[in-house]
Formats: sequence, C-alpha cells, structure tokens
Amino acid sequence: MRKSFVKNKIRPKEFDALIKITVEMSKYLYPYIREILKSKEDIKENSIIWNDFNKRFIELIKERFNVDSMRVQKLLNQAENDEIIIKSLLTLSFCISNQGFQKLKKFLYDF
Amino acid sequence: MIQNKLLFNQSSVSLEIIGLPDYSNNENKDQISIISQWKLTIVDKPLIEGKIEHLGPIMNAFYIYSNLLIKNEVPIYESKLIDIKADNLYIHNIVLKSSKPNVKPLNIKIGNTSLSDTINCFDQLNESSKVSIKKSVESNYIPKKVRFVLNNKVKFFDFIMPPFIAIFSLILFSSSFIYFYNPLKDKEKNELINPE
Repeated sequence: MRKSFVKNKIRPKEFDALIKITVEMSKYLYPYIREILKSKEDIKENSIIWNDFNKRFIELIKERFNVDSMRVQKLLNQAENDEIIIKSLLTLSFCISNQGFQKLKKFLYDF
Repeated sequence: MIQNKLLFNQSSVSLEIIGLPDYSNNENKDQISIISQWKLTIVDKPLIEGKIEHLGPIMNAFYIYSNLLIKNEVPIYESKLIDIKADNLYIHNIVLKSSKPNVKPLNIKIGNTSLSDTINCFDQLNESSKVSIKKSVESNYIPKKVRFVLNNKVKFFDFIMPPFIAIFSLILFSSSFIYFYNPLKDKEKNELINPE
C-alpha cells in the first residue's frame, strides 16, 4: 500500500517497536483522539474538527501511499472512509493503558 | 468498620470501587479484596451501580463488545444482565437488566468517546495493584487467526531463488549464441584452409 518500489518484510522486533511507538503516541494524543471521535458524534456542532482531520488524513494518504491501489482509493473516498477512520481511532483509544501494547498487538493479529 | 474507596477516572467516566482488605491474607489497610459495591458514573447518564457479582459480567460485556466493534463483526452482545448493540457507527445502546423483579430495564445510549473512557476505566481497575479482581475474559483472549506472517527466518525460497535465476539467465543468454554459429560454413572454411 505504501509508495515504495522495494518490498521489505517487517521483522518481529521492528513490528513490536512500531506497536510500542503507536501505543505511546496514542497515550499522549488521547485527548485529541477523543475530540475527533466526539466531533463525529454531534457533527452539526463540531463539524470543523472532523472535516479538518479528514482533510489532513487524505493529504497524508496521497503523499505517502500508492494511490493506484484499490485499497488506498477506498481510504481516499470521503463517503466510504468514515468507518475505517472511526474504527482506527477507537482501536487506538482502547490501547492507552499499560497493557496497551499487548492489546494493540492482539487487535492487529486478529485484523 | 470503615470501608476503602478507590476511584478510577477517565475524562467523562469514573468508576468507584468500595470494599475491604482481606486481613486474613495480611493485606495492607488501603487494599481492596472484598468488593462490596461499585459505581460507574458516565457524565449526563444515570448512575450504574451493583454488587461484585455484577461487575465481572459487565466488564466482560464491554470488552467483548469493543472487540466485536473493531473486528468488523456484528457488534451485538446479549446476556441475562446486560445487552449492548450499536445503533450506528457512533451510538451504542446499553440495556441493563435488574435482577430484582418488577424493575424495568435501564436504557442508556453512549457515544464512542464514553465507550472508550469506560474501557479505559476498566483497564485501570484491572491494572491496579490495590484491587484484587478476577481477570476478565478479554485479557485471556487469544486471537484465533493470524492473517499476516512476520519474517522471522530467512526462508528457503528466498535463499535459493537468486542463484537459480542467475544460472537460468546464463543458460538462456548463452543458448542464444547458437543462432550465430553455422557448422556448414565452418566446414567450408576448414576445407579452404586445408585443401587436402
């Protein structure tokens, strides 16, 4: 899915390290994640936060992902990507505890 | 006897645990091993409270429901005590059924934020060293399927393929020279050099 000509397989240690970074970042960013999720709950009042987040999300996907891939195009489609974004944010928000690393690993293995 | 109180907070949700330490196990004064009551407060929602036998099933219900929600399965959890199902992507409908007769079930609608706050409160309780509680289903949950495989070892296929491709391309390249070699012409040339 990434914009790259080289296919590198991830090693277990690198995979674990990435999960640890993600969990630590989600602990730190939990208030922001919460606000984004909340803005979607009452979209009439807080549509700015959600729209800004969605816009930036699409910008980053276009910048770093292979836009020709069908799966990436699904992420870019604003009508379809709501569910993917909400579930990704929820997954992160469920993993901010001390056991977050194990939780996120389980979620990813089961994805 | 004065009971101990422990409070776990996460943004809009707070969980209060009331109970006593187990002095027969030589526990500290501020420890809670015998839970007598718990209260779950969600901002703008009715108070949820109960006995110890209700806490475990309610925690499990939330953990199982959150797993179902993320794993793209039908997010419905039903039991004798609690039902949780998704109204849509953002609203979750909780029905708490009382064990007492003639008490109507309590309906609560919560958003994704309250759901994640509640899960985080339960996580804090599970991780707290001051409260002894039976581990929930979620923490013992082991994934059934592993869809992507990590590159743990150098695979035999990856090891053998580069030399195989090299030898094969060498054969292919050298076999193309057969078209430039004409044995008849070579014979005539030899005859001209050695006329005998």
